[in-house]
Amino acid sequence: MVDERIYKMFREIGRDMFLSDMISSHGGNLSIRLGDRIIIKRRGAMLGILKPHDLVETRLDKNDSGVVLASTELIVHRAIYLNTPALAVCHCHLRTAVAFSLSRDELVPIDNEGSYLLKKIPVVTEEFASGTPQMANKIAETLKNYKIVMLRGHGSFAIGQTLDEAFHWSSTLEEACQIELAAKLINEPFIEYRGMAEGYKSF
Amino acid sequence: MPTIKLYANLRNIAGTTEVSITPPSGMLRSVSRESNLGACVSALIEQVPALDGVIVEDGQIKPYIVININGHAATNFDVPVGKDDVIAIFPPMAGG
Amino acid sequence: MNGWNNKVLDIDLTAQTYETYPLDMEIARLFIGGRGLGACLLWDLVGPEVDPLDPENVLIFTNGPLTGTGYQTSNRFSVTTKSPLTGTILDANSGGFWGMRFKKAGYDVMIVRGKASKPVWVEIKNEEITFHDASDLWGMRVFALTEKLGQNNNKRNVLCIGPAGENLSRIAAIMNDRERALARGGPGTVMGSKNLKAIVVEGKTRPKIEDKGRFKFLLYESRKLLAASPVTSQALPEFGTVVLMNIMNNICALPTRNHQQSQFEGAEAISGEALTDNYLVKNDSCWACPIGCTRISKTDKVKGEGPEFESTWAFGAQCGIDDLPAIIEANSICNDLGLDTISAGSTIACAMELSEKGYMNSGLRFGRADQLAPTLEAMAARENVGADLADGSFRLASKYGHPELSMSAKGLEMPAYDPRGMQGQGLLYATSNRGGCHMRGNMVGPEVLGLPKMIDRFQVQGKSSFVTLHQNVSAAIDSLVICKFTNMGVAEEYFARVLSAVTGIHYDTGELTQVGERIWNLERLYNLREGFTKEDDTLPPRMLNDAPAEGPSAGRVVKLNPMLKEYYRGRGWDENGVPLQAKLKELKLVNLGV
Repeated sequence: MVDERIYKMFREIGRDMFLSDMISSHGGNLSIRLGDRIIIKRRGAMLGILKPHDLVETRLDKNDSGVVLASTELIVHRAIYLNTPALAVCHCHLRTAVAFSLSRDELVPIDNEGSYLLKKIPVVTEEFASGTPQMANKIAETLKNYKIVMLRGHGSFAIGQTLDEAFHWSSTLEEACQIELAAKLINEPFIEYRGMAEGYKSF
Repeated sequence: MPTIKLYANLRNIAGTTEVSITPPSGMLRSVSRESNLGACVSALIEQVPALDGVIVEDGQIKPYIVININGHAATNFDVPVGKDDVIAIFPPMAGG
Repeated sequence: MNGWNNKVLDIDLTAQTYETYPLDMEIARLFIGGRGLGACLLWDLVGPEVDPLDPENVLIFTNGPLTGTGYQTSNRFSVTTKSPLTGTILDANSGGFWGMRFKKAGYDVMIVRGKASKPVWVEIKNEEITFHDASDLWGMRVFALTEKLGQNNNKRNVLCIGPAGENLSRIAAIMNDRERALARGGPGTVMGSKNLKAIVVEGKTRPKIEDKGRFKFLLYESRKLLAASPVTSQALPEFGTVVLMNIMNNICALPTRNHQQSQFEGAEAISGEALTDNYLVKNDSCWACPIGCTRISKTDKVKGEGPEFESTWAFGAQCGIDDLPAIIEANSICNDLGLDTISAGSTIACAMELSEKGYMNSGLRFGRADQLAPTLEAMAARENVGADLADGSFRLASKYGHPELSMSAKGLEMPAYDPRGMQGQGLLYATSNRGGCHMRGNMVGPEVLGLPKMIDRFQVQGKSSFVTLHQNVSAAIDSLVICKFTNMGVAEEYFARVLSAVTGIHYDTGELTQVGERIWNLERLYNLREGFTKEDDTLPPRMLNDAPAEGPSAGRVVKLNPMLKEYYRGRGWDENGVPLQAKLKELKLVNLGV
């Protein structure tokens, strides 16, 4: 069984993810790295109401948990931990961000918080948008240089030192996209308010 | 009643280093009853209005503020506080 | 490639000659500069057969591709050598102005070899290198010498040793710009063993930047971030690092009286608040730094830079002393003598405990503020009781039959965070490549301050991941070379992009962290080659067995073994802490013949 403190952390963040509409009932995932091991949500569990047995601990390089995990998920998380300095991964199905990802190769926030914290979010695309080594490596490669990436049509992968951090980037991205969507609806000329804003696109 | 100790620039803002809080107005409180951190911080701000907006943001502990209860970090306002507990509030700080 | 000057200055003190040659850019790509470059060069130059005080040991001064560019805090530099205190690889890091000037004189690296037959000082004015006789300077204290050699922050910068280094105290520091220090592990001792009194630099050539537009944007963003972070824009300039005294005391992790306790009843009297209220003149900063954490303090007897948190603790709580003016004066004396304050204070504390327990007859007692100044003078001169203390607490405690009373790891005195109150810090001290050091990956952020987020300081499972990450990132920052306080407002992703913009070589964030991991592993290999084993990845018995009796950390000892096991595995090392071949290959260290 996983350390009580760790379980509480997963449970709180998972609940916030669900209540903020960042995931559906069974979607999304969270994981953390402990040395050479991972703790991740098991397949079929609901992040909104996590129970202690919903968290599985396994080796970084292979599954020794004795539990059939969501292997489509684990491969991505594994690739991320092996290739980046991440200690936590937050995967969400951000509705507005996904919608934007359908028509562009990168998201560049126009709101203050988004541009301040994120600057630019690359969109990667993969034919089978779940579970192949190619997709896992592409996401991991991109996360070597960005703290959050969109997988076109699917959702976001964010990394951080803690689940809090990774959740923070995810939440900020969705907020940024919702603001941009609202701006599009308002449909008036954009007044640039940020200094040196042209730098964000090439971040 | 719990004691609240203030550090660094919180002392300048509050004009004091230590505050003994009295219960929030309108609440019945027996000596043995526990409170929670949120109630204590509300009582603090009521007594020291200069601290309004300094410790709390959007109903949460403001980022970078550290609140320790008897030397243990509290990360939310639901944490219980006993009558003899010492609450220490630190503003943003760093060192090496 | 820009950023680097692509020039090494190689000085032979024995022959009093020098040569210059290009920097190996393949090595520079992999190790960047500063600590990384130093580690790589020391690996080749100084093997296990060399005693740290032999002429065959070297001093490698390095700056980095960012040094002197004007990016925030791009003033720092490193010295790498084999430590006379610990026998491990040593790099020490300093701020101020000298590193920037050395870069502007046109060099990336200066290797100092051999030993001068008589005291010398070296003058560098761009390409002009002059050896001067230092016989009449030998014996001079740092402040007077710095002034005499013409220190001017903006023009001519002096780096030197004081009497402590001359007398080969193994905790001697190299001082620069009067009161900045390359302090830990005895670099000043090595410099003294070479009869090298000072190195003075002049230079004006700014390093070239590849993509100026992008650099400007990143500078702008970094400025915004530093201004927005309350840590870098308010806390550090207003209170300096001593502000940590009260919070460390509050959580019962402030080592007191040679780590016999973890809380000090006099903490408030020696706190950052007390310093600011009573002795602070103003704050100050190093070159190109918007933060301004330096203190300028004044008592009846001294005025100058400091004290920092570690120094205040070392002469304060660690010695049971709550007399802040005496502590400020002790700090100033260390700067003038060229002594590491942490090791000096902790060694005095060790002597205090040895004496109070009757193992040693020195008269030193906890709480005796009046004993600080004369003891420090005696240590630098190696006179009377100073002769016993001059070489650090481990040699002192061993001489008197109680090595376990030295609060050190691998012989380097542990600083101001009691690991029994911070499990991650315990792992950090036990595994740091230069010994008990907090600057190798300070866990005070996550375990005490909630930066970036609060992690339970008593949690053991998973702690090693944070320590590893912090160690890797610190090593990378030490190679750029910039100040770690920048990292409190600006994330590594900016550093990677700044490095790319300056040099024209693409580094992504992960690669930058990997440079840190590479450096860490090379340092580890160096120590293994020197004969260190996993048995040395440990802490004093007091940390492992004797819990504080009361307070928030009561009952806690460092649970080192489970953390160490997880740490080794997470780093890709075997159960003896030896990097596996797969890891060495991944980090491209295989080619170095390791």
